[in-house]
Amino acid sequence: MDIQKDLVAASATPIVLSILRQGDSYGYAIIKSVREVSGERIAWTDGMLYPVLHRLEAAGFVKATWTTAENGRRRKYYHITSQGETELARLREQWDVVHNALKRLAEPDNTGA
Amino acid sequence: MERTMFDLESQIRKWRRHIQSAGSLGAQDVEELESHLRDTIDELTERGVNVEEAFIVAVHRMGDADELHHEFSKLPTESVWKQLLVPAADEDARRRERTEFTVVLMLALLGGLLGKLPAVFGHTMVEENALIYARNAAFFAFVPVAIYFVWRRALSWRFALIASATFTVFAVLVNVYPSYEPFHNQALAVIHVPIALLLLLGVLYAGERWRDSNVRLDFVRFAGEVFIYAVLLGLGGLVLTGVAGAMFILVGIDITSFISNWLAVFGASGITVVAAYLVEKKKGAIETLAPVLARVFTPLFALLLLGLIIAMVVTGQAPSEDRELLIMFDIVLALVLGLVLYTMSARDAEKPAELWDGIVLALVVLAFAANAIAFSGIIGRLVTYGFSPNKAAALGENILLMLNLAMLGVGYVRFVSGRTTYQSVIEWQMRYLPIHAAWAAFVVLAFPPLFGFI
Repeated sequence: MDIQKDLVAASATPIVLSILRQGDSYGYAIIKSVREVSGERIAWTDGMLYPVLHRLEAAGFVKATWTTAENGRRRKYYHITSQGETELARLREQWDVVHNALKRLAEPDNTGA
Repeated sequence: MERTMFDLESQIRKWRRHIQSAGSLGAQDVEELESHLRDTIDELTERGVNVEEAFIVAVHRMGDADELHHEFSKLPTESVWKQLLVPAADEDARRRERTEFTVVLMLALLGGLLGKLPAVFGHTMVEENALIYARNAAFFAFVPVAIYFVWRRALSWRFALIASATFTVFAVLVNVYPSYEPFHNQALAVIHVPIALLLLLGVLYAGERWRDSNVRLDFVRFAGEVFIYAVLLGLGGLVLTGVAGAMFILVGIDITSFISNWLAVFGASGITVVAAYLVEKKKGAIETLAPVLARVFTPLFALLLLGLIIAMVVTGQAPSEDRELLIMFDIVLALVLGLVLYTMSARDAEKPAELWDGIVLALVVLAFAANAIAFSGIIGRLVTYGFSPNKAAALGENILLMLNLAMLGVGYVRFVSGRTTYQSVIEWQMRYLPIHAAWAAFVVLAFPPLFGFI
């Protein structure tokens, strides 16, 4: 089952922020985490992650720093800010509302009545 | 194995160029994406996938370049969710652009202020102290560019330190060395300081990747484009100041002194950093212009050299003025080298040899031959009459350029005959380039004491 494109896009921000809440990370590792936690079902086009990250950075939700890995490769690490944490909490609440609504609507005794 | 690794590098370079081409991605964005691409390739090859396949998969996963641009450059209005979640990317991009533009303006201004430094030491009038201004011009123009690179590439303190140390050593020595008639060392500094400092700018341009031949080639292209931009801007500036001067005279005010001592100093000093900024930002137009220029002038130059060789052989005229001739041929060889470098930077390293490479080879061979013929007759005279600093510098350059062209000639022959790749020709040439700068530095720093400061 593929997740619909709009939904993937809309969930990108809370997912990225959630991953960063677990610890600083860089683009490649974030993509990997997304694949892992979704059981390979959320597959982003790798490159599309970066505009999202940059937007988050611009909004002050994450901070980026360049570091050099052991193999000499330069990596841009992202760190969630307290503003980002607040934003994440807000987004989670919204998702919960949507999620709960859907769940309740799916219950047989609640068919819109 | 060696060969696959080698191919991978050039493939990655092509990919990088491809995603860079539309210009919405900054250098850091590209570096971040490249780092990601390499991580993917590493992981796949560790799992036993061969390098080529890993590269293809990694590029595929990264996504379509056009789509990337679209995402990076602006928000499509239909994706309302993006505006809902975080501020629009345009705004962020615009803010970044504004910051950069402000920084560049400040740096251009800084160049102008540096240009007024001689006035602080009492050399107020530019025209009367032309030599002082000329031999320091490279500092006024390049210091802002160096700061721009350190800032834009967020380079480490080591680079900043190297840059400040180099500028300081050159600026101090060039200005405190004594100089006696006929002031050879000062005139030499005018030409050689910029050549030597170009190496420093190259290092700052490349940052951590200064060892990479392809980054060096990128810098060659960059420098060439900055030159074209600077010339265009300079022409515009000349027209502007000319018109301004004429108009003010009409209303009875003579601003000639203001133009030459202020406007010209600030303009000339700031132009380079502005041109560098323009090339970094808006590549499109010039990137297609430079190869066209190389294509037009390479055959024309080859024909000119052929004519010169025929004239020299037929008339048997022994060139009379050694130094003038040396300098003229240095310019010819440097121009030929410039044309080859431009061609090199515009050429797809993967493409097999074609007729064009034959024309470039002909140009190199003709330049080499013309130089050899011109000097075969006077080489003895050059040595026996002793060396003035000017002659020694010109002769040293001639030898370095000849060696360079010989190397290029051999490389091109091997490439055209299919015995080596174009990439290896590039590698050799890029490894040779710093030698020119090193010689220029030697001329600036060591010649004055060696020749008793004349």
